[in-house]
Amino acid sequence: MEPKADRSESQDELYQKVAEEYGAALARTAYAYEADPDLRRDLSQEIHLALWRSCGRFNGRCSLRTWVYRVAHNVATSHVVRQTRSKKSAPAFLTLEDAEVQASDENVEISVDRSQALERLFGLIQRLDPPDRQVILAYLEDLDADSIAEITGLSVANVWSKVHRIKDLLVRRFHRGARNAL
Amino acid sequence: MPCDDLPDDVKTLWKEAGTDRPMFSVDQLRNETERMQARRRRGYIVTGTCMAFFVAFYALTFFYVHNNLTHIGSTLSVLVCGYWLIHVLAERARVATDLGEIDGVRFYRAELERTRRWHRGLSWRLVLLALPLVLCDLGFAQFFAKFSPILTPLMWLTAASLLAALAFWAPLKHLKLARKYQDRIDALEAAARSSGQSDRKD
Repeated sequence: MEPKADRSESQDELYQKVAEEYGAALARTAYAYEADPDLRRDLSQEIHLALWRSCGRFNGRCSLRTWVYRVAHNVATSHVVRQTRSKKSAPAFLTLEDAEVQASDENVEISVDRSQALERLFGLIQRLDPPDRQVILAYLEDLDADSIAEITGLSVANVWSKVHRIKDLLVRRFHRGARNAL
Repeated sequence: MPCDDLPDDVKTLWKEAGTDRPMFSVDQLRNETERMQARRRRGYIVTGTCMAFFVAFYALTFFYVHNNLTHIGSTLSVLVCGYWLIHVLAERARVATDLGEIDGVRFYRAELERTRRWHRGLSWRLVLLALPLVLCDLGFAQFFAKFSPILTPLMWLTAASLLAALAFWAPLKHLKLARKYQDRIDALEAAARSSGQSDRKD
């Protein structure tokens, strides 16, 4: 059996590697799940705490990337559910279908700058149902369909279909505005 | 399926966020874990103290207030407090699955189910608590009637308020919230079923 000191050392090393490699993606995940800056800072800490603890139990049955995204999304999902429980007037989550309907009803502004476009992108993601949110985040992080399926637990075909619709939604919401801004 | 075929550079825009990432050292995380464990321990101590206070209060009531309603009410109160204590200990003993082992949709569903269970459980535990408290109050109303006539209507008013709050208002509120989470679980199941059908078509 591995001695406790060695295990904790390898846990610390693995966590440092994860924080270095996925730190930015984890920060974006926290941003996509929490709009309030103070709560976002707490959520970031919660994610890093869960990852550090989880690093001690990482068994290599899936890739490190899948493991990291699963932990981050699960912590953030738990945070979202907790928030909806404490905020009595929390708005209901949107499904991809609702977001598509809204996108077709809205007039896309012709001119928005990059920060506004980014705010709008996060605004859209923050309103989605957690499973759809996980797909869109993993997609934006450049993960392939198999990895997204492994993280979310959806079938590859379902991931493909969701990604197709997400792309369509993003194009409709950001294509014209972003082109002017970039 | 990388997202480089997206018409605009939403991907570039996306990657611009997260540059101000918060950094946590291992020592910071270790300290935070210890703080969290201390907070949790404090929470259990507060819950345990409240339970002990209630049990002691109703045990004393049983021995010092000689009235049938109060005897039944205080005995039931002690039993309900004991049940709540066992429930808290059982929750504490529950081993959580590692977050990296469980996929997103299953975890979300489990979280929704846990929240729904919490609201449902609380609603009927409150009803369970209402009955002994009301019985005790009515017993007090009878017992104190001989000492001060003004206490009787006050006790009746308290009993009515307790009944309204613990047996109707709070349980209904929690059942409504449980229903909200059940609706979300149903929606998740419906989405899974429809995606399963579309998978078969593919």
